[in-house]
Amino acid sequence: MKLNLTGLGIGILFGGLLAGAQLHEYDTIHAMLRLKEADVYLLMASAIAVSAPLLWILERRNHNTLFGGRIALSRSMPQRHHIKGGALFGIGWAVAGTCPAPALVMLSSGALLGLVAIAGIFLGLHLNALAADRAGQEITIGDGEHRELVGAD
Amino acid sequence: MFDLLPQRIPWYIVGPGLGLLIVALFAVANQPLGASGAYVHTSGLLRRGRDIVVWRVWYFVGMFVGGLLVTRVLTTDNHAIRSGYDSLRGAFPLWAVVPLVFGGATLLGFGAGMAGGCTSGHGLCGTAQRSPASAAVTITFLTTAVITTFALHVATGGSL
Repeated sequence: MKLNLTGLGIGILFGGLLAGAQLHEYDTIHAMLRLKEADVYLLMASAIAVSAPLLWILERRNHNTLFGGRIALSRSMPQRHHIKGGALFGIGWAVAGTCPAPALVMLSSGALLGLVAIAGIFLGLHLNALAADRAGQEITIGDGEHRELVGAD
Repeated sequence: MFDLLPQRIPWYIVGPGLGLLIVALFAVANQPLGASGAYVHTSGLLRRGRDIVVWRVWYFVGMFVGGLLVTRVLTTDNHAIRSGYDSLRGAFPLWAVVPLVFGGATLLGFGAGMAGGCTSGHGLCGTAQRSPASAAVTITFLTTAVITTFALHVATGGSL
């Protein structure tokens, strides 16, 4: 319950911030990737510049999270699928001019093509899961995705 | 009516704001906020799959609601239902824009699945954890995205 409310609240703040910076607009992403303006790069860099040192401090202090146990950061080493997946993601990102979180904001802002983008993202994730299943591989869970925590409720 | 928010909030407010949000979710729940995983759990719930993390579905809903609040409640402009993709629609007719967007989105979904994350997961949360894999994914997708965008620019005779 409290985790569900946290998820909803964090989602609202996250979607709201993306909308505030107009990251749901194709034109913003296209201008970024055409290297016409630096705003989105600076936005991403400043987000990391703020969060990385704070996470480092929390890790050093062995911070006891409110309901996730002791803080644990994930640091995997790059593998072939990271590079292949990242390369495909970048091509699709450039063509569609959006990515998973901004696509949701695109739709909620009233831009109906956001629905086409969201449907495509669902299909792509599903096709990858099918391909991984057929190859007998586990689905990759990256360091920025949900992880099962031992000893958390 | 007046706008509670400017048309575009500058990067030096949104960027550090996102950074604090990442730290907050770690401090509270020991979790990163990758968005592609939220899609996986949401589609799992819709297809009645197993191992669904329900709060990730609430997170998915939250992103939509947050966008709604900022674009349609806290600002007064652009409330009309529209297609979006302004400059892409300037370069292509709608019958071509729809498959382009769908194809691009399918490809990025496939890639995000294979890489285990997207711009939020690897680009922000993974990199903030100092994950070498996330940094590698981020550098890779930024590179291919810029190359693809310039290729589109050339292919459309400069109209994109």
